[in-house]
Amino acid sequence: MTPSDPIIRLENVYTAYEGADRPTLTDISLSIGKGEFVVIGGPNGAGKTTLLETINGMLPITHGKAIVCGQDVRGDGVQVRCRVGYLLQNFAFDPLTPFTVEEVVLMGRYGTIGLFRKPGKEDYEAVQKALQMLGIEDLATRPIGQLSGGQQQKVLMALNLARNPEVLLLDEPFSNLDMFAREEINHLLARLVRSGVTVLIVSHAFDDLPDGSVRVVVMQEGTIVVSRECSPKEVEQVVRSAGKGTSHA
Amino acid sequence: MPERGLRMLEFIIQNNIVCHAVEAMLFASVACAVLSVIITQVQISSIGFTMAHAAFAGAALGMFLSLNPTVCSIVAGVSVAFLIGPLSDKARLSPDTSLGLLFGICMAVAIFFIAYMQTLGQGFSAMGLLFGDVISLYREEVYLLAAICIVAIIFIVVLYKEITAIIFDKRIAESVGIRVKPVYYAMLFVIALTVALCLPIIGGLLLYVWLVAPAAIALQFCNRLSAMFVVAPTVAAIISISGALVGLEHSLPVAPLTAVLFSVVFIAAVLLSPRRRVTFRKT
Repeated sequence: MTPSDPIIRLENVYTAYEGADRPTLTDISLSIGKGEFVVIGGPNGAGKTTLLETINGMLPITHGKAIVCGQDVRGDGVQVRCRVGYLLQNFAFDPLTPFTVEEVVLMGRYGTIGLFRKPGKEDYEAVQKALQMLGIEDLATRPIGQLSGGQQQKVLMALNLARNPEVLLLDEPFSNLDMFAREEINHLLARLVRSGVTVLIVSHAFDDLPDGSVRVVVMQEGTIVVSRECSPKEVEQVVRSAGKGTSHA
Repeated sequence: MPERGLRMLEFIIQNNIVCHAVEAMLFASVACAVLSVIITQVQISSIGFTMAHAAFAGAALGMFLSLNPTVCSIVAGVSVAFLIGPLSDKARLSPDTSLGLLFGICMAVAIFFIAYMQTLGQGFSAMGLLFGDVISLYREEVYLLAAICIVAIIFIVVLYKEITAIIFDKRIAESVGIRVKPVYYAMLFVIALTVALCLPIIGGLLLYVWLVAPAAIALQFCNRLSAMFVVAPTVAAIISISGALVGLEHSLPVAPLTAVLFSVVFIAAVLLSPRRRVTFRKT
């Protein structure tokens, strides 16, 4: 992969869930460069989460080609996932969940550590760094189930940052956060993008996006209907005008 | 049968029969207890339950056909573990429905053969499969229990990272680059093997207590999974050895008595659990 190559390249990709009669994503073509900030919008059920899970190889690609971080997703999704962070949506942990924050964040390193190996010094250092980036180092020894929804969201974000991802896929990252935490996360995302991390974010909240150029991708019924660059202030308008009359939300 | 052979706890317990029973209960309880942490935390209790009954059905069928019941129960337990996924997919059933169906079939097969053997006058040994019989084990079976106990512990130590991530959340484990499916199926295989080997001493109807109660008790006191992996087998070993000693001393059925002890300790643990207490801390 040369520096000018896109870090994510999808060509005519079709994705289907196991046992489904028809593909959930249809004929997706998308090219995203290193350090781009991409907002994915569209109505519920449009295929936004499916797109993220296709990019990191968690769903089977039935047709087409997907290259992420120079790796063929169809060939080795596990290798791709070691380099791509993915924050899943809607998590709430039971108060009796027997894991501390530090243990959870360390899991972000497990894929890169590899089978039969134990975490080393650099893994624990990466955990500390990720906790500091999110400002939750004081929660390190607390059980995750005893934290608020917003704090749990930050822990899962730290889990993804701990493995220094080249691409960060975020599915509704602001859903449990208050306005102050949103602002913090936005500053953090802006910093990550400046350092060359590619960020793809699925969100319905477009009011607090980081400064700079943003790519908007709007999806409807499993296909991309708009993919264009704009300023953060224009994002909501672009998503609304693309989805006019088709919203199922 | 406590015939001649190497007894590992002979230096503590001189009585051959008691030593034999205690060894069997110790190894079975430790193996089941470490796996109980996985079963309860990955929330595959119903898989464990169905595998226990599949092993039970396999052993009954093996006895009826004059085949080795242990081998038959291993084959049945492992087969069911690997059938659940494809059955759910092909029949478009939820895993819960598939498990309910398999459980019913396994139970029916086991009861059919046990009842039929009773009409043929072979009911005594078959009944041992229902409630367990710690005295009638052969020495080789105790060695096998010791071996599976070691295998279960090594399995957890070697794949600790992967297992803990899967316990935390399977999708998160997959998203961080762990090969979830092979580790998950390895878990099911070790559980099926343990269930099959523990069946003769604990019995098909009670085995589930050993596969759930130790972790449920440990969870009342442990904030960390690593602590649960130590507390669960320790508690299970103490309860099982106590059950064996008291049962043999007073001529009571060992496995049912031990299952009752597990229940009593679980209730006490819930009542005494510091994790359920509301406390106010000054900061």
